Amino acid sequence: MSVSPDPDVSTTDATGSHAAAEHRHPPRPRTGISRGELAMVVLLGALGVYLLLDAANIAVPGSANTIGPRFFPYLVGGVVLATALALGFRVLRGDRGPSDESEDIDPDAPTSWANVGVVVVGFLAHALLINVVGWPLAVTLMFALVAWALGARGVVRPLLTGGVLSVVVWLVFVKALDVALPGGILLELATDWF
Amino acid sequence: MGALGDLAGGLADALAPVNLLFALLGVLLGTAVGVLPGIGPAMTVALLLPITYALEPTAALILFAGIYYGGMYGGSTTSILLNTPGESSSIMTALEGNAMAKSGRGAAALATAALGSFVAGTIATLLLALVAPTVVDLVIGITAADYFALTVLAFVAVATVLGSSPLRGLASLGVGLYLGLVGTDVLTGQERFTLGIPQLSDGIDVVVVAVALFAVGEALYVASRLRRGPVQVMAASGPWFTRRDLRRSVGPWLRGTALGFPLGALPAGGAEIPTFLSYATERKLTKHPEEFGRGAIEGVAGPEAANNAAAAGVLVPLLTLGLPTSATAAIILVAFQSYGIQPGPTLLSTESTLVWTLIAALLVGNLMLLVLNLPLARVWVQVLRVPRPYLYAGILLFASLGCYAVNADPLDLVLLLVLGLLGFAMRRYGWPVAPAIVGLILGPVAETNLRRALAISSGDLGVLLDTWFSRIVLGLALAALVVPIVLRAVRGRRATPEEVQAGEGLRHRESVGAGPGEEER
Repeated sequence: MSVSPDPDVSTTDATGSHAAAEHRHPPRPRTGISRGELAMVVLLGALGVYLLLDAANIAVPGSANTIGPRFFPYLVGGVVLATALALGFRVLRGDRGPSDESEDIDPDAPTSWANVGVVVVGFLAHALLINVVGWPLAVTLMFALVAWALGARGVVRPLLTGGVLSVVVWLVFVKALDVALPGGILLELATDWF
Repeated sequence: MGALGDLAGGLADALAPVNLLFALLGVLLGTAVGVLPGIGPAMTVALLLPITYALEPTAALILFAGIYYGGMYGGSTTSILLNTPGESSSIMTALEGNAMAKSGRGAAALATAALGSFVAGTIATLLLALVAPTVVDLVIGITAADYFALTVLAFVAVATVLGSSPLRGLASLGVGLYLGLVGTDVLTGQERFTLGIPQLSDGIDVVVVAVALFAVGEALYVASRLRRGPVQVMAASGPWFTRRDLRRSVGPWLRGTALGFPLGALPAGGAEIPTFLSYATERKLTKHPEEFGRGAIEGVAGPEAANNAAAAGVLVPLLTLGLPTSATAAIILVAFQSYGIQPGPTLLSTESTLVWTLIAALLVGNLMLLVLNLPLARVWVQVLRVPRPYLYAGILLFASLGCYAVNADPLDLVLLLVLGLLGFAMRRYGWPVAPAIVGLILGPVAETNLRRALAISSGDLGVLLDTWFSRIVLGLALAALVVPIVLRAVRGRRATPEEVQAGEGLRHRESVGAGPGEEER
């Protein structure tokens, strides 16, 4: 979990320039080649290569005298690869994308990979649990885990909030709107009379 | 006037009690979700899409119309009362709106935003009703090649004109086009890029991609860089809208509408540029230049009107051509498609009742928003205070619901997470999300029309430039691709909202020297 920078003390970023933590302050463009940006470009280039190579494996039904199912994939693959090359060139020259702004984002905060990891694990676990324990229980656990990662206090409140919310949502969508959503044995028995 | 007669018929349908109820529900849901910080109009629409599954088309689209306008409205409340930057189309509203709220004029700022949204929304929706039949007459005879040209223009415009980095826009578009290719080829039945996974042979569901890129991506991004500490919500205090405020607001509302609607209706649509232009215009025309930067009401009224007029303008290419030019419009297109309705030149004749009811519902919803939101402002302020840990946990809960409800397959949730991580990386490294959504939805349309055109010409690529229509449109697309890149190379990057506020206007900033200034371009 990351420690938030003291808002009264100006922090120093990697290049040594001052980045005062004040409101409505555009994220300061940082200098140097970003490894993350390079990774994005490499992934994009790999996608382009994959598109071009795998397009050749698409079966073309016989007697196709005009363009078949391969043409557009080749086109997209070409565009993707060209974009990756051009973007790679720019990134190597030090170009950086402006990271997205959002109401709850602190542009000067360091990235907390631990938080991202907790959210990912929580979400993955709930995806695998849905068909075992039902959607309400699985999503309650995910809800509480994410809330804790983002700084919710206590044990009871996150669990209780998630539990009440998920059961209400489940009732509305399954009983009133007929959406297919496994409720888990207990809840399905309890609401059978609906 | 045929259009007005049709509109009157639509109004009669929209005013049926059941439909009024759905409009009310849509407006309330849209505003409530739109007010939540971190949730823009596109995410509002994507998250609420599952609700429409259970309804019949007319009711669902009326609900959706309410959600669309409500989401737009909710966004402006957020940007005025929260002292933090939000989504791009309401940034300009936020500049002066924040300053007004800070100096104790929050109530007036909210009022001019609400009234301006109403004025702009009503005028622009009426213009939509008048313009749509004419556009349909113009495009009813276009060929497959012409249509392909239009999709290319929409791709290029969404990728390069919006956002701050054209190359990153193209990269995002490419990812979207790839996601659109996964699945079974419609024309020959061949599987493409499915990696042998049976669930992928039906293609990747658009709802899954939209919810992943918007909701899950945003939640992960916020988790990585959460703004800690108490939430600062400014009070909607101060004297309410005075006669003087009204006098100062009317001009900006009308000028904002005049800028927003046509720019929103162009295939290079979106609300970002009209709000920039409106702000710059008002700053130039105002009789109170000293107030700009410290809470000038013109600077809230103009951009907010432009924002809402553009939202209606975006519906022109959507309803007449089936061309979505913003992420929100792309998701509305999906709502149509889920009922087997394909928007396009024939929509107005085949689904005439539905379209006119939808347009009428927009007018009704707009009026409801005005009536509801002036008194409900206090409630929305409370919504803004929702604790952030619960807010983002809740967003993920609804993302799970919306995604699982599509196919009841847990694999979709794993896919949702993987694409959510992509959305996180895109936000972090400044790749705009909208081009990916538009590419995903419009990619298959582009391919079908391309192949249809080339089938008629037996593979001769010259057919793509056969008509004047396609030549002009492809020429515009080329210009949209080249001009932003050349402008940036020659004159530096586009001005940021803060620079527009400081009076530097919309001109491209001179590039600053060499060396360290380089990466700013």
